[in-house]
Amino acid sequence: MLHAKLIGSISVMAMLTASAALAQDVDWKSQLGDHSGKTLRVMTITDPFIDSINAVKDGFTQVTGAKIEVDGYGYDALHEKELLACSQNDGSYDVMLIDGIWIGEFAEAGCLDPVEEKIAENPDLYAWDDFTPAAAGQASWEGQRVCLPVGIYYELMYYRTDLFEQAGRKVPETFEELKEAAAFFTNNQDYPGVYGYAMNNKRGAAAGQQWFEWIYSAGGKPWASNDIGAAEPYKDQTPLFNSQESVDLVQLFRDMVAFGPPGVESFAWDERANAFAAGKLAMINDWSVRAQIANDPKQSQIAGKFKAALMPHKDGGKTITPVGGWVACVNTHGAQKDAAWDYLKWFASRSVHRDFVLAGGPPSRLSAMEDKDIQEKFPWTSVLLEGQKDSWAEVRPRNSIAFQLIDTVGAHVNKAIIGEQSPKDAMDAANADVTKLLQDNGQL
Amino acid sequence: MTKAAMRAGRPRQAPRRAFIHNDRFQMTAFIVPTCIFLALLTIWPFVYSVYLSLHAVKLTAMKRAVFVGAGNYVNLLGDPLFLRAMLNTGLLAVTSITCEIVIAFVIAKAFVSLSHLKWVNGLRSLFMLPMMVTPLVVGMIFSYVFNPILGIANYLLGGVGLGPVPWFGGTTAAMISILLINVWQWTPFMMLLIMAGLLSIRSDLYEAARVDGAKWHHVLTMLEIPSIKGIVLLGIILRIIDTLRFFDVVYVTTRGGPGDSTMVLTLYAYQQNFQFFQAGVGSAAAVMILVISIVITTFAVRLLRRIENE
Repeated sequence: MLHAKLIGSISVMAMLTASAALAQDVDWKSQLGDHSGKTLRVMTITDPFIDSINAVKDGFTQVTGAKIEVDGYGYDALHEKELLACSQNDGSYDVMLIDGIWIGEFAEAGCLDPVEEKIAENPDLYAWDDFTPAAAGQASWEGQRVCLPVGIYYELMYYRTDLFEQAGRKVPETFEELKEAAAFFTNNQDYPGVYGYAMNNKRGAAAGQQWFEWIYSAGGKPWASNDIGAAEPYKDQTPLFNSQESVDLVQLFRDMVAFGPPGVESFAWDERANAFAAGKLAMINDWSVRAQIANDPKQSQIAGKFKAALMPHKDGGKTITPVGGWVACVNTHGAQKDAAWDYLKWFASRSVHRDFVLAGGPPSRLSAMEDKDIQEKFPWTSVLLEGQKDSWAEVRPRNSIAFQLIDTVGAHVNKAIIGEQSPKDAMDAANADVTKLLQDNGQL
Repeated sequence: MTKAAMRAGRPRQAPRRAFIHNDRFQMTAFIVPTCIFLALLTIWPFVYSVYLSLHAVKLTAMKRAVFVGAGNYVNLLGDPLFLRAMLNTGLLAVTSITCEIVIAFVIAKAFVSLSHLKWVNGLRSLFMLPMMVTPLVVGMIFSYVFNPILGIANYLLGGVGLGPVPWFGGTTAAMISILLINVWQWTPFMMLLIMAGLLSIRSDLYEAARVDGAKWHHVLTMLEIPSIKGIVLLGIILRIIDTLRFFDVVYVTTRGGPGDSTMVLTLYAYQQNFQFFQAGVGSAAAVMILVISIVITTFAVRLLRRIENE
């Protein structure tokens, strides 16, 4: 035990030394201003990476003298607080981490200062091309780079290696294989107390986001002009929620209920992650940032007993890995914008991002995903590197009504999941409601 | 100032003093601060809500408000989700208040009967605990208690051979779970009122009933219910107002689902206002909730007065 701890400590020290060596490549004193006496306030989500932000923040204080105060909020509370504050010209927070799908809403409310000029001043330091393409897309809006993608997640499928090895089964790659594997582990006497799979079924955002995350891998798309790689994805937002691909996908969600724990119809992110960490699920799909919870022996009974794979896809199709996560933006109403820009320049840089990732933050740069130390510490990183190649920033809507649009779709998807409506009826209703919503808001 | 000057000033102060001692002035002086307070914190927000409800406006773009008249109200009354929220809120109010009254009466009767025992007082205080807990915390506690695979509720049921219950998973189950939580939290309040009513009944009336050979149901229907109906009605009014504001538990546990089965009025208004930032629709919903509250309360207060006058 002591031996293991010693080796662990040496590894951490070695990684930090290596990080320090990398960090020394940049002369931060010349790159950043003196902000002694200032305190920058950062508002972010209380996802696991908040600890990683705190773990590296002293580095900025050492160079500039400015203190960093990080305040975390839950998802809905953060959306409400950030958007209300900045739309009312409140500059009390200098840096805001926002979900990439909120960017249209924040841009419409006049909350964000573009990052274009800053990048032009020092392109090497910002190294924009080193961000994964989908991450860079998440931080851009209407052709402008607006924020810096520092906390990008990808959705992967996690499976229990011990169970799959015992069963001698291959990891599912298609929807049909997923259903078969989930059915195999559910109510199987050889795997007591284990269920096959739990999906994000809860009414509203949970079910809605799930639909958007899976639709491209099901061969469909959410609206007419949103093809992968489209230059103008919002040009024609005619909704396609009742396409055959969509109806089939919702039928899959409904079928999967049979392979989940009782009450899975009301499961969202937390319930699913907790059930997987408690060893009750054979498989789960989740954002990459949550893999650490499952791999932490203090919080999980399956630490070291799971691996990551790409999410399954429709037979004959391919996986489009969903992208999400957090982009860091300067509050346009902040009184300390110079210091805030300096903080982001420092925080999003390659070297600090590496430290941030080693401290548990989600890798958003290709250099971090390719880093051997990071891959060794977080084994799912190599799957992320593979998954990001086939990802698309607009997989979930990012326009100014994204929050309401996703919730509306989620309410109807949930009705199909619980059997209140057929998938066809539910998605016809979703299509009608979204059409009205877009028309009411002048987007159709 | 010299003494002469002060003396000279006295006659001028006399009418002012008289004015200060005037009842009308004193009443006004006491009432004005309260009126200003009410105007700033209650009436102005209400007036502003009504103003917003007549506009198509997003909370994040207030300057782009467009007057739509009663459009938001018309849309609300044609929105199946809002109508479902009204139905659910009404259903929740009727079922939970009925359950609370019945359970509270039984417990209050037990406490009154056992009031001679010393430990009953302590037990009564313990029984009050649920209503002292913040509803948001209650929601969080029950989201763990009713967690289908990790919660204590299904663990205990499993111990007696009963299968796991999907507490928030089915439409009926979710509504019943919400009802259970509401009843658990607010039965003590109703019990407190009923117990006060029961304790106010003179013991000689019970004695007279016993001498007259009255059975328990005669005592219940002819003595106890008539004696406590005023206080119970007061409790019902307060609980109706509470239920119309019921939000936290649903927000934490079900978010109005599965389907629309647990969507309530306040959650609908909250979503429109603070999740979708549709301030016009959200304000219209808030005004509707207020109107419903006023109508029900006015009706109930009149009923209460009639009972008191009987």
